[in-house]
Amino acid sequence: MWWFGGHRQQRVSALSRVDRAVILDAGPLRVQVCIDCLGAVCPRPQLLTLRALDQMVDGEVLELLVDNASSAEAIPAMGMTLGSTHLATVRGTDGWRIYVRKGYVENEG
Amino acid sequence: MSSDVKAATMGVPASADAWYGHKGNLYALAIVGLVTLGSVWSLAQDLRWVYLLVYIWFGIGYGIFLQYGRFCMASAVRDLFAVRVPRMAVGMLIAVMLFSLTAAAVQVLGVNTFHPNAMGWHILVGAAIFGFGIVFTGGCASGSLYKSGEGNIGAMLVVLSISFSQAIYVTMDGGWLNKLIPASWTASAAAKGMPEELSVTQGWFDQFTAGYVWDLQGSQLSNHFESVFSGAFLGNALLGAILPSLLLMIVLYQTAYRKGYLRRYKITAPGLGDHLRGIWSMVTASRNTAIAGLALGVLAGGHMWATGALREHYEIFNFGELLVDMGHTAGLSIQDTVFDPGYWYITTQEAQWGAWLLDKAGMQMTDSIYFGLDNGIPNPLINAPGWMSIGIILGAALIALVRREFKWKVPSLETAMFALIGGALMGLGARIAMGCNIGAFFATVTNGDMSGWVFLAGMAVGGWLGVKGFNAWMNWRAGDDLAI
Repeated sequence: MWWFGGHRQQRVSALSRVDRAVILDAGPLRVQVCIDCLGAVCPRPQLLTLRALDQMVDGEVLELLVDNASSAEAIPAMGMTLGSTHLATVRGTDGWRIYVRKGYVENEG
Repeated sequence: MSSDVKAATMGVPASADAWYGHKGNLYALAIVGLVTLGSVWSLAQDLRWVYLLVYIWFGIGYGIFLQYGRFCMASAVRDLFAVRVPRMAVGMLIAVMLFSLTAAAVQVLGVNTFHPNAMGWHILVGAAIFGFGIVFTGGCASGSLYKSGEGNIGAMLVVLSISFSQAIYVTMDGGWLNKLIPASWTASAAAKGMPEELSVTQGWFDQFTAGYVWDLQGSQLSNHFESVFSGAFLGNALLGAILPSLLLMIVLYQTAYRKGYLRRYKITAPGLGDHLRGIWSMVTASRNTAIAGLALGVLAGGHMWATGALREHYEIFNFGELLVDMGHTAGLSIQDTVFDPGYWYITTQEAQWGAWLLDKAGMQMTDSIYFGLDNGIPNPLINAPGWMSIGIILGAALIALVRREFKWKVPSLETAMFALIGGALMGLGARIAMGCNIGAFFATVTNGDMSGWVFLAGMAVGGWLGVKGFNAWMNWRAGDDLAI
């Protein structure tokens, strides 16, 4: 049954550096890092987020794509320990897009 | 951005349609309808099926709240070590405290169906193997059931693997596990005078059960109290569950939350009040899990009460007696019993599913204590705790459909391999420890049986090693690709 998901097999790494703008309810946001975790279950999304945050500088924003509900809920809760700010979680048709900024930012989170 | 907006976007997307305009709601309604129809049909055949129906309807209730609270022991232990997030662990401890109170109430009513587990080293070893496995499967025994209900095919593979691996472990006659059995266990097992058809001196699990576990003692804290009331509430609930949970929560705050909290709110010289507010912030971060814990605690207590009351009504100790009365004698143990815990349990009925199929395929399953003497291998259609597990899947599917979180998720090859291998480890661990995170931990610590805390300690060690292993695997597979 996994051959249906075979196209994902080729991409061992889901981390990529991007530079694009997204429009959220609260306004536009520039995204510097994207993590694609569609189809992955815990703990992979959490661990990859941790890896990415380690390599980012304060103020940069990452976008995480997940379709595993429990991972989507776990990411905002990580902020307190990782020193990051959860900006938004956007519900789409195939899962959630979660935006996290490295470092604490006043008036956010 | 305010936290309200976040909460709204996590939940059900706003929709202008009427509730019946969404397919998910209709499918959810269909599930309720089918189970109701099935219940009415079976009661029309024989009213005594109500005993089995109690299991399935409570199972649906468990499934609903497991999914709602993302109640997963795997993430509780794993997230703590992997990403230092105590959220699920805190939620789990709150659930433990609440369930201990309902369990105490049921004990005072005199219909508590709980049996203490034998205390010994096996729990630590088994729980560690179990804890290692759950990191790789991405879900514990109850977690993999509710995730199956969310359409996660990887989680279904975990359930499949747990079922067959357990059935094979407990009936295996040869193999490397036999080499681990000391001669004293074999001698002790032989001295028990068990019927010959069980062949207790063959197979590691029979010798482990009869030669080791049966010689151990299990107890509840309430045994040390004179009155039933203080035994249940002071002994089991307060001393056995609530105080240890509070202590662990302080440890969690100290190790995983305090630093981040103080830095976040720029508190440089924290006083006791700051720490208490910090602990409260940690608790409220686990709100959904805590609400689910409250509901699961009430349900689990209600389940024990309902089964206990039905046993009194039919004057039976075990569902097997009722099955014999109704003319279903196939698949019972030699004592005419079947697995019938009377409370929330996961792994044994899964083992019975696997064993039933393997038995049909011609393998010898009943020459074991586990199936032959105790649990039997009833047809899955009349396996009451088995229906509880199916109920958990259906209940989780129901609420996932309503919350628009149901999605068929096909695992990658790697996830599928991890599901099968991790599931086999979970099966082995659950059998050695005589239960899983529900039967050997959640239902155990809440009934004053301290062996459950030993299980948690073992699971933590296994989980920690599992996270190390998982990280190493990710590095090896991805190498430099993890750099961005």
